Amino acid sequence: MDNPTYVGLTRQSGLMREMQVVANNIANMATTGYRREGVIFAEHVAATGPDAASLSMGNAVGRSISPVQGAISATGGQFDIAIEGEGFFLVETPEGEALTRAGNFIRNEVGELVTVNGHRLLDAGGAPVFVPATAQSVALSGDGTLSADGQPLTRIGTWGAVDPTELSRRSGTLFLAPSGVEPIDGARFVHGALEASNVNPVAEIARMIEVQRAYELGQSFLDAEDGRVRDFLRTVGARA
Amino acid sequence: MRALDIAATGMSAQQMRVEVISNNLANMSTTGYSPRRADFSDLHYQQVTRAGTIGAADGTVVPAGVQIGLGVRPAAVTVNFAQGALTATGGDLDIAIEGRGYLEVTMPAGNPAYTRDGSLYRTGDGLIVTSDGHEVAPGITIPDDARQITINGDGEVYAGFLDRVEPELLGRITLVGFANDQGLEAVGSNLFVETAASGAPFTADPGTDGLGTLRQGHVEASSVDAVREITELIEAQRGYELNAKVITAADQMLGAATQVR
Repeated sequence: MDNPTYVGLTRQSGLMREMQVVANNIANMATTGYRREGVIFAEHVAATGPDAASLSMGNAVGRSISPVQGAISATGGQFDIAIEGEGFFLVETPEGEALTRAGNFIRNEVGELVTVNGHRLLDAGGAPVFVPATAQSVALSGDGTLSADGQPLTRIGTWGAVDPTELSRRSGTLFLAPSGVEPIDGARFVHGALEASNVNPVAEIARMIEVQRAYELGQSFLDAEDGRVRDFLRTVGARA
Repeated sequence: MRALDIAATGMSAQQMRVEVISNNLANMSTTGYSPRRADFSDLHYQQVTRAGTIGAADGTVVPAGVQIGLGVRPAAVTVNFAQGALTATGGDLDIAIEGRGYLEVTMPAGNPAYTRDGSLYRTGDGLIVTSDGHEVAPGITIPDDARQITINGDGEVYAGFLDRVEPELLGRITLVGFANDQGLEAVGSNLFVETAASGAPFTADPGTDGLGTLRQGHVEASSVDAVREITELIEAQRGYELNAKVITAADQMLGAATQVR
C-alpha cells in the first residue's frame, strides 16, 4: 500500500477510538460524579526520505478530563454530599488513596462513611469518617464540618492530585494520582445533594455526528485512493 | 467495535433506572414506603497508552495516556429514608414512627424482620400484629374487655377499662435501629431483614439512642415525590434514546467500513 492509505488509516482508527469515548460519555450521562472524557489528537510526523516532503498523520495520543462543574441536584439523602468548586473527596481503595467526585456515601455496618463500592471516605486529616449509629441528625456545613446532634465529629476536606496531568481513571468514578494527593481549598460542600455527571448530551451527540461523518469522509477518501491505484494498474497493465 | 457494547451498557442502565422509578411510582400510596434510587458507576477502563509510559529514548514521559472507558454499570440501588408525611387515621393501633427506627416483627419462621409500616391490628387473642399477621415485638396482648388503647410517644401501651379509673400498662413497643439502613434487605410487604452490611440491630425505647418517637392515630405515608420521579423518568427515557442513537451511528460507521473494497 501507499502512504495516503496509511495516513487515512491513522485517522480512521483514531475516529473509531473517539467514537468509543463518546459512547462511554453518553453511557455515563447518569453516573453521579462522572467526568467527561475527551480524546486529544496529535500530529505524528513521519519523514519519508532525505529530500522528500515529510508526512503528517493524526494519532490519538492523549485524553482530557473535563473539569467543568456538573449540575448539583438536591436528593435529601442523609449522606449525599456534592462539592461545589474544585477538588475531590479522598477515599481509601485497595489500590491506595483515590479521588472521586461521587458524593453518594453510605454508612456501613460499623458506622463509617463509604462509597457505594464500599471504599472508605477519608477526612481532612486522612482518617476514616465515623458517624455513630445512634446519631439522630447529621449535618454538614459548607466548609466540610460534619456534626451529629450538634456535636462536631470531623471535617471533610477537598483534595487534588499533586500532578493533575497524571490522573488516571478507575472503575467506580475513581481517579488515581500516582505522585500523591494534597489538600486544596476553595470548594464548598452541599449537604443532601449530588453532583450529576458533567456530560452535556447535546454536545456529545453533536460530536458523535461529527465523528461519524468524518469517518464516512475518510472511507470515501480510502475508496477514491483505491480507485486511483486500480486505474493506474489497469492503465499500466494495458500498455505492458 | 466497542462503541456498540458501550452504548448497550448505557441502555441497560437507563432501563434499570426506569424500572426503579416505576416501582417507586407504583408504591406512591404504600404506607411507610421509602423511594429507591439507582446509582451508577463507570465500568472498567482499557489502558491503550498508559500514563507515565516513556515515549522517547531521552526519558520523555507520556503525561496523560489514552484510557477508554467501557461503559456504565449499576453500583447500588439506595433507599432514601426520608420521613414520609404523617396521615391522621384516628385508628388506635395505627402508629407512625417520627424519626429513625423500625418496628420489629416476628416472621412465621421465627426470625425477626423490621418494618416502618405501623398500621397494626389485633388477632382474636388480642395480640398486636401487622397487617400480614406478623407479631410485633415484644408481643403485647390486649385484654378483651379493654375499652380504649393509648400508645404514647415513648411506646408505652395503656389499656383503659370501663370499671377502672387508672389505665393499665400492658407493655412497651420498642424500636430497632441499624448503623447502615441502606444495607437492609427488602423482602417485600414493607419488611426488611438484617444483612452483614446493615450491622447488628440495636433495640431501644422510642425517643432514645437517636431513634424516633411513636405517634398514635397516624400512619406514615409513602415518601415518594411524584414530580421528582416523573422528571427522572423523562431523563431516563431521553438517556435511553441517546444511547440508542450511538448504536445507530456506530452501526453506520461499521457499514461505511464494510463498503470499502
